[in-house]
Amino acid sequence: MEARQISVLLEQAEVQRRLGNHRGATGLAQRALAIDPDHAGAHAALAAILLDARRLPGAAIEVGIALGLDGNDPYIHRVAAAVLAAELKLADAWAHCLIAIQGPATVPEAYVLGARIRELQGDLAHARELLHEALVLEAAHTGALTQLARLELSSGAPEEAARLIRVALETDPSDHAAHLVAGFIDLARGDIASAEQHARFALQQDATDPESHQLWAAIQARRSWLLGAWWRLNTWISLGNDRRRLALLMGGFVLAQVAVIVTDELGLAGLSRLLGLAWLGLCAYTWFAPFLFRRMLSRALEAVRLDPEF
Amino acid sequence: MTYQIADQPVDSSLRDYVVRPGVPLFSIMLCGAWMAWPWFAFNAIAMGSPTRRKEVGLCVLAFVGTGALGALLLALVDAGWLPKGAPLRLALLAVTAFKLAITYHIAIIQERTFHVYEYYGGPVRNAGRIVSAGWLARGLVLGLSDNPLWIIIVDGGFDGGLSSALWAWLGVR
Repeated sequence: MEARQISVLLEQAEVQRRLGNHRGATGLAQRALAIDPDHAGAHAALAAILLDARRLPGAAIEVGIALGLDGNDPYIHRVAAAVLAAELKLADAWAHCLIAIQGPATVPEAYVLGARIRELQGDLAHARELLHEALVLEAAHTGALTQLARLELSSGAPEEAARLIRVALETDPSDHAAHLVAGFIDLARGDIASAEQHARFALQQDATDPESHQLWAAIQARRSWLLGAWWRLNTWISLGNDRRRLALLMGGFVLAQVAVIVTDELGLAGLSRLLGLAWLGLCAYTWFAPFLFRRMLSRALEAVRLDPEF
Repeated sequence: MTYQIADQPVDSSLRDYVVRPGVPLFSIMLCGAWMAWPWFAFNAIAMGSPTRRKEVGLCVLAFVGTGALGALLLALVDAGWLPKGAPLRLALLAVTAFKLAITYHIAIIQERTFHVYEYYGGPVRNAGRIVSAGWLARGLVLGLSDNPLWIIIVDGGFDGGLSSALWAWLGVR
């Protein structure tokens, strides 16, 4: 009875996760775990949901518990690979992904994830090979087609990329990643209006997604050099992990202060003051920029809601 | 009964006093470390952060580390090993960099929990008045002792993290 209840709750959680309702999905997985706190599959499902919600520390802990409870389940290894890939621990991620791929009843998602990891490791040929294997398992797999389209685009073949992404969107017209890649492909082909439609759709689905911001920035950069630079700077600052951001902030601070001290000691008091003011200006800018960035995003999202064709 | 996720904040009776981690971060620049670090520690407890021990520990480390670096710097000045001018200013910059780095680090850790706290609909207080009061009280706190080590530890401020009083004491300006 309990096993059946847990199974239903996890199925519902997966549906909610696919719909982007992370809170609802988390609640359902928590209910499953309240029934059986030692259910490895429920811990792995919760880790997958937390990963989607960008709660990486929680996802890492949950998948660790799942692996401790059942080290043989290919699904748990796939979730572990996804979490480790998000943490950029690529060698470990690939080791878990390989177990998922070699396990019984392999699913295309394992190959797609493997391709993503191999791509991040710089082995594009192997990534392509894995994606073709995913398409052998499921000819119109949206994830595999989307990733293949992205690879084609980065290899300088936008027409082939456009063909692949068209098939992906025909299979699943609401796929977030497919819309993002479609936006970048349209941008490469010079169709800015269509790229903007895809970007707005992606932002509507997840307004906090850094890749959606990147696409939006790239579109703005085509329209206005100044605005584009502004968006690009914001996206660049928010990219990468916390350590990189901290190093960037502290490096900037120390360099600016050393420049102020050195110019002052050289008797260039005016320049020293100017450098100090420039640093203060940059501090103020980085303080207010996220606020302005969010405001511009909400305006873009308002436009989606008001668009009669949406 | 529900399952508690490891990164989920626990219930706290001080939830109504939680502020965005960016506010104590801002207060180190405007008011000083005397306000920012205890505020970070309080915020971690009020939020019920699962990493509150680490956050409080980092706040204590910030005070102790700054004190140790400041004491070393002043000892070097007294011994005549650290000449006034650029070398002294660069040494002071190292102390300031330590203070800011640890503050940013605490803010980043707290931001992760705050993201989850907000996700579960936790209340967030506007702290504009507290920051203003801290800015007004800054001179009073700095004036509590004329020991330069006290100023090195408790100050923050836009002026490279150190007050003009300290610069004057060291004879740099």
